[in-house]
Amino acid sequence: MSFMEFVLAAIGIASAIGVVGFRNPLSSAFSLIVHLLAIAGLYALLGAHFLAVSQVVVYAGAIMVLVLFVLMLLNLKSESGRRIGIVRSALTVGIGLVIFLSISAPMLAQFADLPQATLEQNIKSSEGGVKAIGELLYSQYMVQFELSSLVLLVGVVGAVMLAKRKNVQLMPREGGMGGVK
Amino acid sequence: MEDTRLALVVLVPLVGAILSYVLGRAAPRIAGILATAAVATSFCFVVSLWQALEGGQTFSFTLSSWLSFSNIKLPLEIYFDKLSAVMCLVVTGVGSLIHLYSIGYMAHDESRPRFFSYLNLFIASMLILVLGKSLPVIFIGWEGVGLCSYLLIGFWYTNPDFASAGRKAFVMNRIGDLGFIVAMAILYHSCGSLDITVLNRPEVLARIPSEMGFIAGIALFLAATGKSAQLPLFTWLPDAMAGPTPVSALIHAATMVTAGIYLMARMFGVIELAPLVPAIILWTALATSAIAAIIAISQNDIKKVLAYSTVSQLGFMFLAVGVGAYSVALFHVVTHAFFKACLFMSAGSVIHGCHHEQDMRRMGGLAKSMPLTCLSYGAATLAIAGIAPFAGYFSKHAILESLAHAHNPYLHSYGELIGLGATAIAICTAFYMTRSFILTFLGSYRGEGHPHEAPMVMTAPVLVLAVLSVVGGLVLNHGFFTYLQGPLPPVATHSGGGILGSVLGSVPGLIGIAAAYALFIVTPAVKDQIRKVLWVGEKVSSGKFFLDEILGLLVIAPFRGLSVVVSRVLDQSVSIGTGNAIGGISRAVGELTCRVTTGQVSTYVLWMFASAAFLLYCFLPVR
Amino acid sequence: MDPITSYLGIACLLFTIGGIGLCLRRNAIVLFMCVEMMLNAVNLAFVAFSKIHGNLDGQVAVFFVMVIAAAESAIGLAIILSVFRSVASIETTDAAELKW
Repeated sequence: MSFMEFVLAAIGIASAIGVVGFRNPLSSAFSLIVHLLAIAGLYALLGAHFLAVSQVVVYAGAIMVLVLFVLMLLNLKSESGRRIGIVRSALTVGIGLVIFLSISAPMLAQFADLPQATLEQNIKSSEGGVKAIGELLYSQYMVQFELSSLVLLVGVVGAVMLAKRKNVQLMPREGGMGGVK
Repeated sequence: MEDTRLALVVLVPLVGAILSYVLGRAAPRIAGILATAAVATSFCFVVSLWQALEGGQTFSFTLSSWLSFSNIKLPLEIYFDKLSAVMCLVVTGVGSLIHLYSIGYMAHDESRPRFFSYLNLFIASMLILVLGKSLPVIFIGWEGVGLCSYLLIGFWYTNPDFASAGRKAFVMNRIGDLGFIVAMAILYHSCGSLDITVLNRPEVLARIPSEMGFIAGIALFLAATGKSAQLPLFTWLPDAMAGPTPVSALIHAATMVTAGIYLMARMFGVIELAPLVPAIILWTALATSAIAAIIAISQNDIKKVLAYSTVSQLGFMFLAVGVGAYSVALFHVVTHAFFKACLFMSAGSVIHGCHHEQDMRRMGGLAKSMPLTCLSYGAATLAIAGIAPFAGYFSKHAILESLAHAHNPYLHSYGELIGLGATAIAICTAFYMTRSFILTFLGSYRGEGHPHEAPMVMTAPVLVLAVLSVVGGLVLNHGFFTYLQGPLPPVATHSGGGILGSVLGSVPGLIGIAAAYALFIVTPAVKDQIRKVLWVGEKVSSGKFFLDEILGLLVIAPFRGLSVVVSRVLDQSVSIGTGNAIGGISRAVGELTCRVTTGQVSTYVLWMFASAAFLLYCFLPVR
Repeated sequence: MDPITSYLGIACLLFTIGGIGLCLRRNAIVLFMCVEMMLNAVNLAFVAFSKIHGNLDGQVAVFFVMVIAAAESAIGLAIILSVFRSVASIETTDAAELKW
């Protein structure tokens, strides 16, 4: 594990803890931005260049801007009122530990004894450049790619419908719906 | 031999039933025409098949496979032999005439499409009944005609009396159906087949143990008593007159009620397994016939007279069945279909012409205003009375003759008694039919309004049947018994005889007619004297022998008591208690567990994570 | 430990942290961010798998996850907005009508 990887992983984990830990949602949001950027860096180190760029643009850019926008719009203060009890926190962390162990242990055991040579060969052959990903998306995953655009469209329409103010007239006015009586 | 025409015989009325309802709703006028055309088409197919029957040849057709288990094969198969041919000709022939008549009779009814649809469905069911190759297929038709009978008796269901008459017919028929099912179970258990062609073979019948044979025979007879209105299950038939008159003519006189006779003739091997069964049939038939004839004397409703007369005539047919003269019984089925359908349809014309008046006391003198109807009713009356050249004479005479040849070990020396009784009933029949004729058509009109003759579409089929009632017996008499010798055992009868025989044979009928003429026309005073003397008899007769009340006391009252006990004791304590206990438990559990749903998202997420952790821990291989 | 498989460990850890945050926080937007974090952890694992197996299918999957995440963020934030409009708060404890 190179030094760079180590640093980025440490930043990523620390900022993740920050997201959960900060009481002010704004701090959490900024912490998440740092986290996402660190993950983008890890993608780049792994050779997934296209994903690294997408991560920065889509996540750290678009989505987080949207989140910050909503936060500012609602003008929220930090979480108030009683904190979550110590028993419950301990319980949650315990459960989290069980989950962590039962996911990671079999996964690590599965890939622990991979031969080094084939692994390096595989890493070389899966350089995620824009060209390689694009070829795959527009050939083998063509249908799924088109469907994802549909998902985005539905998301946009749904978001507009949901965020509309309730007192806005949703029904067409009288005489609308041309021809239907 | 497979023949597609056979399938068409059944399917055409079935399609007609659907079409006349669906298309009839759009244009009610065409419903009747469609339905009549369907039955007439079916009749044509039957005739062409009947023409093709030669010698011992039969036709069959497999509509589809019904049940098919490992070793049970039950195809939906229909079968056409000479016995089926006779029944089919009557059903479709008389059926199409009655359909035609109904067009006129029901012309002003709102729900004509429904009526004609039911009527066609009835014809299809009846054809399945007489064509079925195995007992279960016959049972489909058996239930089908019962259903149609129920639907048509309660056709004017807005009248609660009519609806309950339909229910009564349905329930009483179910009692008979129980017998059918029991008989099927026994026969299948002992013979391993329900195919009628197999069941009548002597070597197959020999496999049935004697006591089982007795039970099967009695069970089949019970089924027949339900459908053919014999004691103790006959009270539904007079009530069935609540339906429209064409229905009474078609279902409750000409065809459906003869299904019991058909079943007896089909299964004669089973009936004759134990000699006690024919003896029981004989006595039951005699009692039914006598009781119905006595009741008919005192009835004032024209349709009720005909209904009791039908019961009485069915008893006559069962008398022939009881002495093993099945083809004679069938002969009476055919002639009875002619003259009884004619009588009912004439009565329908009378009711139609008198503005829905059914009481004979408010009729009279209709011979002037309804000459054609009077003519046909008179012809049919002479036929049912058994006067020499008319149709009823030949069949009735054949029955009386076969009774004389009866030999059954259980009859002991009472054989002559049955013959005498039957003769007395024949006199009685002539008497009450003449009475109804006199009350309706002779004398002066006692009702209100002006009676008018029925339209042509109604009188034409009545006249056809009247002609058949006149000449039918004479024409059929020669060939009928030999024709049916293939599927049925031969009978030793040479009915008809010469001129002298005919005159002597008509004597009972003439006595009845003369008595009625004397009492109702010549000396009405004597009639009133007799009524005073025989007031007990009149009470019993007009009270219909209190059979409904007796049945009510013996069957319905205990049943009702049991129901009350069950509802008061069992239902209140056991059922409701158990229900409340179970309800209480689930309520308590529910109140306990609903605490889990706090409405807090974080709690839900925690539960989800805990479960996920548990599942992962359990199922993932942690090495 | 191999460098590639250590990525899997990091992914698992991030996923768990996100899950814990989901249980402990009450602010709907923070919950939303925790979900995003968990998605990211899975994405990281996908990329690692892609490297281990030597093909690009894992990275394509990440691309689709990003698409879904974008749509989800639009819808999710719209829902948070309308919830805020009806109960004047985005604390999940205040929006608790869906109980017995």
